[in-house]
Amino acid sequence: MKLSTSRFYPIILLTIVVFLSVVLIIATNTITQGRIQDQQAQQIQGMLKKMFPDMDKYTLQNEIYTLYATDQARIGYAFLATGKGYGGDISILIGLENETTVKAISIISQSETPGLGDRITGSSFLNQFDGVSIDSVKLKRNGGQIDAITGSTISSSAVVNAVRITALEKVQALSATSK
Amino acid sequence: MVRFWRELIKGVVISNPVFALVLGLCPTLAVSTSLDNALGMTAGVLFVLLGSNIIISLIRKAVPNIVRIPVFIVVIATFVTVINLLFHAYVPSLYESLGIYLPLIVVNCIVLGRAEAFASKNPISSSIADAIGITIGFALALIIISFFRALLGTGNISVLGRNLFSFPGLTKDPIVLFILPSGAFLVIALLLALFRWTGVMKE
Repeated sequence: MKLSTSRFYPIILLTIVVFLSVVLIIATNTITQGRIQDQQAQQIQGMLKKMFPDMDKYTLQNEIYTLYATDQARIGYAFLATGKGYGGDISILIGLENETTVKAISIISQSETPGLGDRITGSSFLNQFDGVSIDSVKLKRNGGQIDAITGSTISSSAVVNAVRITALEKVQALSATSK
Repeated sequence: MVRFWRELIKGVVISNPVFALVLGLCPTLAVSTSLDNALGMTAGVLFVLLGSNIIISLIRKAVPNIVRIPVFIVVIATFVTVINLLFHAYVPSLYESLGIYLPLIVVNCIVLGRAEAFASKNPISSSIADAIGITIGFALALIIISFFRALLGTGNISVLGRNLFSFPGLTKDPIVLFILPSGAFLVIALLLALFRWTGVMKE
């Protein structure tokens, strides 16, 4: 009996196809993993440089980047935050000028609705955070200083809440270590 | 060669995926909010549809009928995942701009539809022509739909960050409904009706 007419041929073939695809995906993942991580590290470094143009070097401790200028003066802090958006996690890089004021924020990755929620990556939304005190990082309807994007309240408040809550946590952690 | 061109042109008009086959409406609703999104989705669909059509056309004789759908889905999903990882690692700029569109293609039934209806029954050269033609047809549909949605919903038409023109009056008071998915349904329905009425696209 030929293999291709056997009753078991479909099962065997499907098994082989799935096996090959798993092998292919694992192989690609292993090969690309290092590069993807490098790229993300580079991306964060580039973003820090953009946020703090005076930055010369930084140290990373307890997931908080402390940034120094060329004259060794401390010019700010930065850390990552995750917000629960409409389409999944929103990964945000937050820069602080000092313990009370936001310097700037930028979105590292997001999967919000194209054309609606993904406008959180636009400068007209993000620039609103520049120089705002941490306590005022709330939507205007909640007594804060940030305008929500029309039609994208969930995405907007996800960013705003993630920034405020994470910033407060990190500032607390900073003051705890410095004591 | 004649056959190649015939299959290619067929995908644009006679079996236009959105207006004639009415396939892939879910991604169409999601990405036809601006011309940039339409172009991003088109690039993603071109890569995946071309790849999956070629592979499925190659293995079509070895795949028995009862397991063909699971096999096609595994092939397409693998292709999308591998491309996603490769883009992320080697062409990060393209990965950034394609963003959500690549993973969205797994649920794009145009890809499975072409695998099932065309690539599994035809040789490679026709399958390549079919993939290119269908992608052009899809692109055309997305561009037309997103043109009307962006114009009515935001008042601005912009491509690659450059503003082509603004419609006075609409920029200040846009009809936000057209940016929302329900607006996409309205636009698609009106366009479909128009095309059927004028006889441009026949069933």
